[in-house]
Amino acid sequence: MAVDLEKILRPVEHPMPPFEPKYMTLAGGEDMIIRQAKREEIPELLAYVEPLLHVERDYYDVVTARLYSELLAYYRYRVQDEYVLVAQIDGELAAIVNGRRMNADVGMSYHTLALRRGLRVGAHAFATKMEYHIDTMRQKEVLVVAESPIGFRRWMIEYKLEKRFEIPHELGGVPSWALTKELFDRARGSLIVGRRPVPDHLLKKAEAAIIPPSDPPTPPEDTLAATRAKYDSTGTALMLQRRKLTGKEE
Amino acid sequence: MEMNLYGYKCKKCGQLHYPYRMVCKKCKRNAHNEFDLVPLPKNGKLLTFTHLYTLPADFEVAKLTLGIVELENGIRVTGQVSIQNPHMGMQVKGKIEAVRQEGYDTNYGIVFYEV
Amino acid sequence: MREVYAIGVGITSFTRLEYPLSEIAAYSGMMAMKEAGFPNIAHLYVANMGGCALNHQAGLASAVVDSMSLTPAGATTIENGPASGASAILQGFLGIASGMYETAMVIGAERMREVDNLESTEFVASLTHPLAEYIYGVTLPSLAGMFTRLYMEKYGVTSRHLAMVAVKNHANAMDNFFAHLHEPITVAGILDSPEAMTNNPYVADPLRFYDCCPVSDGSACVILASAEVAKKMNKPLIRLAGVGQATDTHAVQEREEPTDLLAVRRAAAQAMQMAGIKPGDVHVAELHDAFTILEIVESEEVGFFKKGEGHLALERGETSLTGKIPINTSGGLKAKGHPVGATGVGQAHEIVLQLRGEAGKRQVKNARVGFTCNFGGFGNNVVCLTFIREE
Repeated sequence: MAVDLEKILRPVEHPMPPFEPKYMTLAGGEDMIIRQAKREEIPELLAYVEPLLHVERDYYDVVTARLYSELLAYYRYRVQDEYVLVAQIDGELAAIVNGRRMNADVGMSYHTLALRRGLRVGAHAFATKMEYHIDTMRQKEVLVVAESPIGFRRWMIEYKLEKRFEIPHELGGVPSWALTKELFDRARGSLIVGRRPVPDHLLKKAEAAIIPPSDPPTPPEDTLAATRAKYDSTGTALMLQRRKLTGKEE
Repeated sequence: MEMNLYGYKCKKCGQLHYPYRMVCKKCKRNAHNEFDLVPLPKNGKLLTFTHLYTLPADFEVAKLTLGIVELENGIRVTGQVSIQNPHMGMQVKGKIEAVRQEGYDTNYGIVFYEV
Repeated sequence: MREVYAIGVGITSFTRLEYPLSEIAAYSGMMAMKEAGFPNIAHLYVANMGGCALNHQAGLASAVVDSMSLTPAGATTIENGPASGASAILQGFLGIASGMYETAMVIGAERMREVDNLESTEFVASLTHPLAEYIYGVTLPSLAGMFTRLYMEKYGVTSRHLAMVAVKNHANAMDNFFAHLHEPITVAGILDSPEAMTNNPYVADPLRFYDCCPVSDGSACVILASAEVAKKMNKPLIRLAGVGQATDTHAVQEREEPTDLLAVRRAAAQAMQMAGIKPGDVHVAELHDAFTILEIVESEEVGFFKKGEGHLALERGETSLTGKIPINTSGGLKAKGHPVGATGVGQAHEIVLQLRGEAGKRQVKNARVGFTCNFGGFGNNVVCLTFIREE
């Protein structure tokens, strides 16, 4: 009986073409590989994503909470036609992007989570997701929303997205924006970059294991002090000073 | 009516200035406003330029080309450059046009074109 | 004139700080106070450029002097563009050198990230000439871009040299806890890789993203005192031995030789002459590299290298941490960050640490003479300082 009910609950998936991995060189000189995550890799990702639930600044908490549910739903078959791409630097998890095929012509972008900040890690991952929709799935447009000001600057302004305000986006029902094939083609070569095929040794290393992010954003020790510096991503420099002042630390 | 950029010629020593200043930078002896207004020539040589991609709020274009031009009388002015592929040292001709809209204020200034 | 010493320094991270401006300012002040043993402050100088325009805070010094419970000490806010910081130090110097005060506190503070980057760029662009530059859309990056093009043409500086400055300063900032950017970058990554144009796009051609400093919040503090006060302290004696300030035409186009930064040359000469040193005597320097080109040009104008040869010295590694004259050991504005009003004081903070031998991993060996150049507008108001460690 339970098996039959599962048949009803589990959405029927449309076949989606696999994403062909690609890589790009970052400003720091490292190569970042972006590839499709397998369903069985999701629990691993969940573990790395979870701590970010408590990072308030730049809407990491909202993005992570929603992404977590989307990853989980993907793993346990409760969302239709979802895919997950991961960006890795030396095997280390740098970003996760996901989205969904709505129909043959339209895609829906879900989230972009950068676990390493700066160096356009998130921007490259987002661009790759768009490429999957437009080039691989041959869709006409992708519906996008931003939850953080950084996202808004990166997607809506850099790509000059079109308004699709009549369509509520699945993320919170807010008005959608759309990246059309035409806008995508315009960004090709400037915002959308990367090389294929990925050299064998790089791909093998990436697929061998997803190494946890070495320096993910962490929740602020002092809730007032939200900052962007990598080694003071939490305003601890100020905390340190406060402690020094109070003589608790020297 | 043809619009011009105006230079300020010191009534005491004849030094020409652009932009306006209160006291002549050469003789430093003229009092307030002792200048004759002289229309500046509009043609000159492009000394340097830049394509600016991060624009101030009032500009709704992808990029703005700005340049410094040495006019025929040697005075240098900064202006917008409306040339596809400018190069240093090229001859340019200027036109006075609206260059920036700030709310209801229209600012006029010089825009340079290819000769 | 009396001799003036730096007896205490403090700094906050240069980054995005979500504190009120007055609190940001007070943090570095408290650090310096603790270090200096809570001396009696006669006057507080606060350097700030955007309090009114960005943070709805006028008369910042009054807010800070009260917040730090230093009343009834005198308090003055100093706005002098990006050179506000060193200008405030100069004022503190005068207060003590004249014999008027025994101790003076100089804080530089800025909070630019309260507004979005369009607004902060616009705010900094208000430094330009209103009629001859601003109306055309001229911003500081565009002035620097036009300047760079001239410099490249005349002296053979290339994008590669600019990238080398960025890479060097980013590497230095990796060892600076308080720096804004802890991003190790490589020339390959920002210039040579097929993705370089995306990672490092043009901002004001030929200047690219990694040629420009970030927009930061932050504050820094230096407490200045007379010899009498300083000699009672149990710290190396760091003397503010020379100060210099010079100005140039407001509109960049009016300069006779557009590739010269005469104000830098004059201010540096004053600051060195007053201290009785020559450029060759300087062991460590902080130069105002809001744009990478400026580090190269300033290193020539202050006299470390011949005009047009700064980029060659850079190539030879003379300005790196282990070179002949290490420049921007803190990461400079490029990587340490550029909270405009705080920058000049932040430079002095780094030099004081270096001369005391407290700079940690980025310490320059046996540094005894340090130099800073704080550059306002596009070179129209420059303040230079010389610090000497006394044995």
